[in-house]
Amino acid sequence: MMLQIKDLKVSFGQMDVLHGISLDVNEGELISVIGPNGAGKTTLIRSIMGLKEANGGSIVYNGTDITHLPAWHRAQLGIGYVPEGRRVFGNLSVEENLRLGGYQLKDEAQKQKNISQVYEMFPRLKERSGQLARTMSGGEQQMLAIGRALVLTPKLLLIDEVSMGLMPLMVTTCFKIIKDLNKQGITVLVVEQNANKALKIAHRGYVLETGNIVLSDTAENLRTNDVVQKAYLGS
Amino acid sequence: MLLQQLLNGLVIGCVYALTAMGATLIYGILRILDIANAAAYVIGAYIGWYIFDLTHNIVLAFVVSMLLTGLLGVVIHRTIYAPILSKPRLMPIIPLVAAVGLFTLTSDIVRLIAGGGTKAYNLKFDTDVYHLGGLTITPQWILILVLTCMLFLVLWFILNKTKMGLAWRATAEDAEIAQAMGINTKSAMALSYIIGYGFAAAAGIMVGVLYNSITPALGDVPSYKMLAVIVLGGLGNPVGTVLAGILVGLAETLISVYLPIGLPKDSIAFIALIIILLVKPDGLITRKNKA
Repeated sequence: MMLQIKDLKVSFGQMDVLHGISLDVNEGELISVIGPNGAGKTTLIRSIMGLKEANGGSIVYNGTDITHLPAWHRAQLGIGYVPEGRRVFGNLSVEENLRLGGYQLKDEAQKQKNISQVYEMFPRLKERSGQLARTMSGGEQQMLAIGRALVLTPKLLLIDEVSMGLMPLMVTTCFKIIKDLNKQGITVLVVEQNANKALKIAHRGYVLETGNIVLSDTAENLRTNDVVQKAYLGS
Repeated sequence: MLLQQLLNGLVIGCVYALTAMGATLIYGILRILDIANAAAYVIGAYIGWYIFDLTHNIVLAFVVSMLLTGLLGVVIHRTIYAPILSKPRLMPIIPLVAAVGLFTLTSDIVRLIAGGGTKAYNLKFDTDVYHLGGLTITPQWILILVLTCMLFLVLWFILNKTKMGLAWRATAEDAEIAQAMGINTKSAMALSYIIGYGFAAAAGIMVGVLYNSITPALGDVPSYKMLAVIVLGGLGNPVGTVLAGILVGLAETLISVYLPIGLPKDSIAFIALIIILLVKPDGLITRKNKA
């Protein structure tokens, strides 16, 4: 198993945000965690990345307990991260952003190779390689945020709300990219408000509500589940 | 005459920029105002004095003093600021109070060790002054100008052309994401302290050489003038700090010569600060995008 989360508790001061949730991701899987705004989706992904401290439970990645490792160490172990709201380094160039994505790669030639692969995948980024990231459109910045995470050639890719603030056409493109990446062998964990799109590409899914996992099943079964349909798919 | 005053101002401005650079680099990463950077200026001046007194080698004095003071900065960060900043929901005033306390403490430790009196560098040059056209230039000025240019070039190179510098800039912009990219942000902090405290030490020696006297109170005025410089420079912006430092140096010199308003010279930096902040509240040089 690639990622095994057991009884994870996370709180902000007195307020508990995740009340002991458990979740598994197998190698090669694409898992979607859906749920309403404020359910704790972003908190979940941030604690897997190590940006929010866990108050209880454990996170095991490829057999290593990473619950208390700092974020940079988790990146070193091969966990890639596409944050909510993209958060590219706006004052740095596109190329510099990509170089930072591969910061943990010691082999400079390997890093260059990975960056050119990202450029092949997103020709738009190559055209703009010298440009400051903040001068690009939201969609281009999202490409950069994804590309930046790929330079590391992550084993596990964490993607937070990829559809947020993007035009519908761009959202479709992004989900297609995520599916392709998974087909190429990257294990992916997506948290997403757009339940319909997220479940379409996933193998399995989890429904997160007010800090608890209330449902988990194959993506196919979740899409036909009455509760999910009423609450998240709007039919 | 004007050219002469501009040169005077430039030399002073270089010292200001160098002193404030540490505070800028530290603010850029940690978002705290490290007044104790002015203590590095005092300590640096004294370490430099002792080395020079022993060896009569000014280059050695600069190198050893910058290194030792830089390392002291890292120790101060690890033992004082890092534990304070690790507390959740910290009020920003707390590291500031710690910095003020640290500055007072170190100035007094210097006083206890070195005594409260004045020490002179007595650095001798072959000539006392050079005449270039109508300009009078002292060897001390040349030393300061050349050394400042060198240090800023080195800093520019580190920040813009090295992997470590790229990590620094990323951490300054978004420390959290930088961490998630695999950057150990502690090393970016260490870099800020080594360079920052090292530069302040160099500035301390320069002032010691320029005025040929150092006292334990050397850092008192720079401790707050440094604030004017870093705010003018757009808080946390290295290029802005260089420009702001030179601007303050020039303004002080020119105003005190051509516009005798009867105010002490040290107040001019703050008058300039108030005026500029009224017009441009983000400081002179601002980076766009802080979304």
